[in-house]
Amino acid sequence: MIQFLFDTVIRALDLALIAVALSGVYSLIKFPNVALVQYSVTGAFLGMLLQQAGLPLLVALPLSAALVGLLAMLFNVLLFERLLEEGSAIALIGSLALSMILSAVFLLAFGPAAYRFDLPVAPAMRFMGARVTVHQLSTLAITLVSLGGFAAILFFTRLGREMRATATNCVLAAASGIGTRGVINATVFISGVLAALGGMTLAMRGSVSIDLGTQMLLPVFAAAILGGLGNALGAIAGALVISAAETFVTNTNFGPLFGQDFLFAPASYAQTASFALLVLFLLFRPAGLFTSEVNRV
Amino acid sequence: MSDFLIHVSAVACLYGILALALNLQMGLSGLVNFGLIALFGCGTYGAAFAHLWGWPPLAGLALGLVFAALLGLFFARLGDRMSEDYWGIATLSLAEIMRLVFTNEQGLAGGAQGVSGLPVTFAALPADTAALARLALYAALLVVAFVICQRIARSGFGLSLKLMREEPQLARALGYDLARSRRIVMVVSSLMAAVSGFLYAHYLTFVGPEQLMSHETFLIWSMVIIGGIANNWGVVAGAILMQFALAYVPFVKDWFDVPSDFVAATRLIIVGGGILAFLIWRPKGIFPERIGGSHV
Repeated sequence: MIQFLFDTVIRALDLALIAVALSGVYSLIKFPNVALVQYSVTGAFLGMLLQQAGLPLLVALPLSAALVGLLAMLFNVLLFERLLEEGSAIALIGSLALSMILSAVFLLAFGPAAYRFDLPVAPAMRFMGARVTVHQLSTLAITLVSLGGFAAILFFTRLGREMRATATNCVLAAASGIGTRGVINATVFISGVLAALGGMTLAMRGSVSIDLGTQMLLPVFAAAILGGLGNALGAIAGALVISAAETFVTNTNFGPLFGQDFLFAPASYAQTASFALLVLFLLFRPAGLFTSEVNRV
Repeated sequence: MSDFLIHVSAVACLYGILALALNLQMGLSGLVNFGLIALFGCGTYGAAFAHLWGWPPLAGLALGLVFAALLGLFFARLGDRMSEDYWGIATLSLAEIMRLVFTNEQGLAGGAQGVSGLPVTFAALPADTAALARLALYAALLVVAFVICQRIARSGFGLSLKLMREEPQLARALGYDLARSRRIVMVVSSLMAAVSGFLYAHYLTFVGPEQLMSHETFLIWSMVIIGGIANNWGVVAGAILMQFALAYVPFVKDWFDVPSDFVAATRLIIVGGGILAFLIWRPKGIFPERIGGSHV
């Protein structure tokens, strides 16, 4: 049971940072930016390159996150501001196209192999009966600190207040003297930082390869939608639900149900579980768990 | 004509049918479907099951059409409850679920290995004639699909679809049953996609889950966007253009002697870059939609 809880939390970490980034941006510019998952892959590769260039990990991680944040801002100014004038569906398609181009760039630069951070290998420890590795704990710390930092910005700073005002009513916020364009770009920067950190923590626990982004896409969307797109902190709860479902599907012995001793679902059905949960949710509660907004045609 | 040219043209015709189907959903009715490839997959797997169970190929077509109609109705049902970007994600998820199930269930049409050895269409004819006969068949079906799409676009029903795309609230206020229109559009376009999938399966003689990758859906999207959203001439042109552009990438690789990753990357860049470039500089595509004029 403890192991199940722990696996769920660790898997939720994979999703939470990117899902929070997705939801945070959605609250300001009303389209789900698919390219965010590729930003996180960019972050992982950049962090790895910086580490290979001789920087210590504690410098490489924030530097790469900041660079990805700038990249996200650049794409927003060059691309999405124009596409959004045509409508949110067009911007969504544009972000899909951008993520295709980014994955082509990764393919050319890194090839199909999997890469790892240069980290010391430590044996798993026992903690309250669950197997835990040092990297899992350190990434847990990174994730909690970044999510806490994001929440602190959102609720206790002037920028956060302006972000919430712009999300609630962009026109009114602009009329009351908030530079909404700057606020949006700041949020996009933060989302890039969070996504990059999410990609790097993922890579620290395992490896990063070019198809990581495609693999993360639907679980992250499932988490963000479950939490109510646009509700940044709801995405954390969404990530927990999705990862609990995934862990349940892969770790449960379905044998007794079918009269066999052991029957485990294939590991890739973990994804299927999250997609199925997503479709069910969209069917019965399209606007997510934590919103009351009416949002349909 | 060289064999290669015939091959590319044949595949372009099949993709043209898919592009017309997507245009009916996305261009005419504003249904942002990211799971089109699942409807195509209904056709390919209909053919695969018929082959596995020893049925005649045409029974496979019927099976594929039934699958596709049911899946299309389910997509339409989902659309009743959600706005367009949510619907896009939901359809993408459903297509991925379908691909993952077919990849992992060994007992279901061969799992990741897929099904091979399907009879090729016109196998009785000599090879050269058969290739030309297939091209003629696909081209004829493309024309049929085109005529159907043109008729829908010009009918009163087509106008109501455009109204649904532009002003859904107004369409509802005027008494149009949006859910019903959506169902009709989804079923008609699903059947078109399934026919294309069935022919594709009996052309390649192989059916596998990697044909259902979401990249394929985006390729069809690029055809529609580049050709011209909501213009049937345009999307057929887009399909032919993209198919030829992608078909010649391996030759470029041979000329410049670059690694084989280059081919995959270049295809991604052509599709993704094509979509982005057109969305930014020419959002209406090569052949823009004709608005107004005589429709009666």
